[in-house]
Amino acid sequence: MKHLLMAGVASLALIGAAEAQTTLNVSLNADLRTNDPGVNRDGNSDGVLMHILEGLVGARNDMSIAPMLAERVEVSDDFTRFTFTLRDGLKFHNGAPVTSAEFLWSWKRYMDPATQWSCRTDFDGSRVVNVTSVETPDPKTVVMTIDAPSPVFLALLARPECGQTAIMHPDSVGADGTFQFPIGTGPFKWQEWRKGEYFQLEAFTDYVSPPNDGTSDGLVGNKDPKVDFLRYMVVPDGATVIAGIRTGAIHFGSISAEQIDEFRDHPTLQLLSVPTGGHNILYFQTRNAPMDNVEIRRAIAEAIDLDQLVAMASNGTGTPNMSLIPVGSSWYSDVQAQRPAYNPESARARLQAAGYKGEPITIKANRRSNVPSYAAAIAAQAMLQAVGINAQIEVLDFAIQTDQRREGVGQISSVSVTPRFDPSFTYTFFIGDKDKDPSRMWEDPRAIELMDRSYTETDPAKRQEIFDEMHKLMMEEMPSVFIYNMVYNWLAPKSMTGMPVWESYPRLWNVSLD
Amino acid sequence: MLRFVLGRILSAIPTLLIVSVTVFFLIRLVPGDPAALLLGDHGDAAALAELRAQLGLDQSVLTQFRIWFFKVLSGDFGTSIWVGEPVLPLIIQKFLVSVQVVIPAVILATLIAVPAGILAAARQNSVVDVGLISVATLLLSIPTFWLGLLFLLVFGLHLGWLPVVGYVSVRTDFVGGLLYLILPILTLLLHEIGTIIRMSRASTLEVLRLDYITHARAKGLSEGAILWRHTFKNAFGPTLTLLGLILGNLLSGIAVIETVFTIPGLGRLMVDAIYARDYPVIQGCMLFIAFIYILVNLFIDLLYSFFDPKVMTQ
Repeated sequence: MKHLLMAGVASLALIGAAEAQTTLNVSLNADLRTNDPGVNRDGNSDGVLMHILEGLVGARNDMSIAPMLAERVEVSDDFTRFTFTLRDGLKFHNGAPVTSAEFLWSWKRYMDPATQWSCRTDFDGSRVVNVTSVETPDPKTVVMTIDAPSPVFLALLARPECGQTAIMHPDSVGADGTFQFPIGTGPFKWQEWRKGEYFQLEAFTDYVSPPNDGTSDGLVGNKDPKVDFLRYMVVPDGATVIAGIRTGAIHFGSISAEQIDEFRDHPTLQLLSVPTGGHNILYFQTRNAPMDNVEIRRAIAEAIDLDQLVAMASNGTGTPNMSLIPVGSSWYSDVQAQRPAYNPESARARLQAAGYKGEPITIKANRRSNVPSYAAAIAAQAMLQAVGINAQIEVLDFAIQTDQRREGVGQISSVSVTPRFDPSFTYTFFIGDKDKDPSRMWEDPRAIELMDRSYTETDPAKRQEIFDEMHKLMMEEMPSVFIYNMVYNWLAPKSMTGMPVWESYPRLWNVSLD
Repeated sequence: MLRFVLGRILSAIPTLLIVSVTVFFLIRLVPGDPAALLLGDHGDAAALAELRAQLGLDQSVLTQFRIWFFKVLSGDFGTSIWVGEPVLPLIIQKFLVSVQVVIPAVILATLIAVPAGILAAARQNSVVDVGLISVATLLLSIPTFWLGLLFLLVFGLHLGWLPVVGYVSVRTDFVGGLLYLILPILTLLLHEIGTIIRMSRASTLEVLRLDYITHARAKGLSEGAILWRHTFKNAFGPTLTLLGLILGNLLSGIAVIETVFTIPGLGRLMVDAIYARDYPVIQGCMLFIAFIYILVNLFIDLLYSFFDPKVMTQ
């Protein structure tokens, strides 16, 4: 009897302890595609892995780059030699100390074509830089050398889509060479994955944040885990996400812009409308008539009342921005804020001068709920029709729209593009020779020359000049109309403290449920 | 009996062959490149070409078909382009989840709707008949996604009796898992009740008009005996056919219900695969579904012999 009583008391104590632990439930619209960083990745995978893995450097809120696992980074005068000194006392989730040897192991694995790391060709000389050597003179030092000066090398390393070029423990890979699960250094460690149901991370109690002022800052700053577990639940339906948040089954989830109105002044839930570095764009296929005519493109830009269009498409949450550089970037200058004024009369005159005779111009859009493709297309269509443009809308499955954009098909496509840390990376996506890559938006030789210079100019002031010059050229040539930076809307209980979002990712360190 | 079953299984081979060829080529006629979707807005034309080569999409469609077909013959349905997992285990895993909703819903719907349909027929044009037919028509008219969301709001949000989101396998936690299944089963069950009541009523009415029923009445048998002993077995045949179709249809995917109730079943797998142009998964799912239809229909044919021994003799 006594034993039974003691067992009962022990069980109650265990239950009490279990109840004291906090689990933060987050909804994701789709299951994790991978837990191997940068391999067969998608946005959800990147966002989850940034809680588990860390690289030598990481991005701040304004997308500038700061040390993460490195205590300091010394860059040679010619911008070809980068010396990283690791912080003291770093540990992997399995308790092993972090040394330069694990970086070297991780790097070799990333650069092995068999790994299929999506960023390998950015470092092997095929595309952006050529890493000629990686040395580890002592357990705390990593020296990376590239064959030509590059101001973007650190940003290349820090990208979430590359798994932040994270340092992983070799035990992440099994004896047969297959990836098991990530053993990293982040504030949360991998715990369980029930495919299609949920996956769970556990707080890493030995975690030490990079130097910080107590606040979250991009992927650096204060990263202390403040809940015991993060549980990511796969909830594809928006209405179910809201029902889940209302009942408390979900603590944090993304909702679409059309759903936000009822939560603006909600008594128990907080609505977070977070701008990101991604772009919503009316993407012109500049080789196809009539979009090959600069006057038509400028007429379209002047026919669009951007403030009104953004207010409609984002349900009042967006900020107009015609620049390739996002508003929140440290490179966003006064010049970047310049844009043509809404001027329907001038637009009509340009159309007449261009010899436009009412040929149909089709805007291709998709109906995905997390992007304003369709809403922006509808608003733009009305504004273009008001100046006499025969604007039509064609709604496509996202796969078909993506295919057509990549193949250079059509006239205008209402699309969204995810953020890049450095303006040069954004330029690479949009600018280039359409003969080599039909997906490129703009093939003006002056723009290509500016882009190339942005990859080699190491003086920040001169880089800013290049970016500003690019913007002025873009406003002249109007290769597309950039509308506004993507805004993601999130719901959370008011009891949640901290800033649980960065860019388009749930960022759940330094966040608590009080 | 064994010959009959073997014969039916052998006759399924051409069907599966036609399905495999049709599905393989039809899905490739649909625009959209899985490699482009995988890359998203990252990677240039060279990266796309490299990925297409990795996935074998750079080869001719005929070569792709030959490779896939011979792999399928050896039991290998390929690997998902999207999640990188072997297709057949993935399909079976998701199918077993769908089964947990479909089978209880269809059994319960049959147990409720077949007697209700017979009762409505027996009391034709009475208040009971009109009431049952009205309910059946109403249930048929309500879209499952709307009914599902309504249940979520009422039983999950307002009353708080049942979980609104998530899924727990009954193999991990039987009671907890059942709680997650109640609402989807109820939603599906109510929708199918409408269909089965109408069929059961119509086929019962047809049988009740036959001469041998008049003869039975003339013999002085009670209405109950006429209904359950003489009418039911003969009237159940068409309903059984319908049940086979319903079962095949539902087992092949209840994507809407699975999406609303966050159940990781076969329907959601297939819808996601179509959006992602995950060819191996789409092909695998379609073949699997064809196979399930064949099995379900075989089972229904075998059940016919129980209700009508002439079927087996023929």
